Amino acid sequence: MSVENNNEWNPKIIVIACNWCTYAAADLAGLNHYEYPADIRIIRVPCSGRMDPLFMLRAFNRGADGVLLSGCHPGDCHYGTGNYYNRRRQMMMKRLMQFVGLEPERYQTSWISGAEGSKFAETMHKLVEDVTALGPNRKLRDER
Amino acid sequence: MNDFTQQIQDIASRLLDNGQVDVFIAWHKGQQDFQVQPYFARSADEAQNIIFNDYSIHNLSNSLLKFRDSKEKIGIVVKGCDSRGIIRLLEDNQIQRERLYIVGICCPGMKDPLQAMRDELGFNHKPESTELAAKCNDCIQPNPVIYDELLGTEQSPRVQDRFARVKEIEAMSADERYQFFEETISRCIRCYACREVCVACDCRTCIFDEMRPQWVGRENNTTDNLMYHIVKASHMAGRCIECGECERVCPVNIPLMLLNQKVIKDVNELFGPYEAGMQYVEGQKPPFSMYEESDPDDFL
Repeated sequence: MSVENNNEWNPKIIVIACNWCTYAAADLAGLNHYEYPADIRIIRVPCSGRMDPLFMLRAFNRGADGVLLSGCHPGDCHYGTGNYYNRRRQMMMKRLMQFVGLEPERYQTSWISGAEGSKFAETMHKLVEDVTALGPNRKLRDER
Repeated sequence: MNDFTQQIQDIASRLLDNGQVDVFIAWHKGQQDFQVQPYFARSADEAQNIIFNDYSIHNLSNSLLKFRDSKEKIGIVVKGCDSRGIIRLLEDNQIQRERLYIVGICCPGMKDPLQAMRDELGFNHKPESTELAAKCNDCIQPNPVIYDELLGTEQSPRVQDRFARVKEIEAMSADERYQFFEETISRCIRCYACREVCVACDCRTCIFDEMRPQWVGRENNTTDNLMYHIVKASHMAGRCIECGECERVCPVNIPLMLLNQKVIKDVNELFGPYEAGMQYVEGQKPPFSMYEESDPDDFL
């Protein structure tokens, strides 16, 4: 990677991806040469049940401009139930984050299965567009 | 109120005398009438110190956590909200029902000791119009939901509009809301009184004490404070019994119940009517330890 010295701001987006679905979808998107923005960083976790809301909070705290949590469609969880538990948590957490003033576009959730490489690319485009429109995130940012 | 004191004293001495309980948890008088403190009576003599008055506002069910590793039998006095705390602890397997003797009091509403102190000292520049403490004004369950013995006559709920404050904040724009929370929560001094007093906070190792990994910074700055309060509110999801103790003990007057009530409101709307600690059904799980296939997912 070369270091580019332009002053243009690019969003920093963390995608927390389930190993069995979304990570495979990212792989498939690569295989099929679907282009998606390079502003995203993928973190692989074993299941959407592993996606602690703390990951999202910590990402914003450490300088992320947007976070996407993504796992298998309901019913398709590799471990059976992980994404159902995650869904309840995310529903509550998203509303709580909006309540404390975070823009809903910054914290997104989606279901992307292992066969949906194109949906993965589309979602990333949409996500980067949304976050770029909002500009850099200052909320919840670590002051140190 | 005085007859409650007498009745509780009688019950306590009876239970302690015939060995039905080893310790009886109630209140006793502090320096002033309004400075009532939690009290642990261990003999019938000590039971004579027990008092119940307008300022017995403390949620005693939290103190059961101190006994969770012992085998002692415990007698305890509960008001409506406190009794929901006991159900919370039973649901979390923190204490066994057989070890408890619960004396329930139909709560007529308590007064705020702090306000009484301000009145007494003449520092009350802004006499509040309410008779009762803030947390008692919107009480939805004044009557105990679990008890072995019930004192007093059943009261009707005093609730008017529980979520009025939440709706007020919801009506603001995102930036206004963030500014509001930044301002109020930047006051936080991280004394953790809200955590210590909370009956739903029964983890043995709290995430905020954990150093490795240190998820939530311990520095006293706005973002770390905000992180602390968001994480705490999310841990309270489906567990908060709305006793309002966190807000009462907060030394810097942060409206902590605002976040908790927001979560309560959402859990209620999203996952069917649910109030934490309303009835004890063995094996019943709180909403975030279970799921329905038909749960909403309108976030897509």
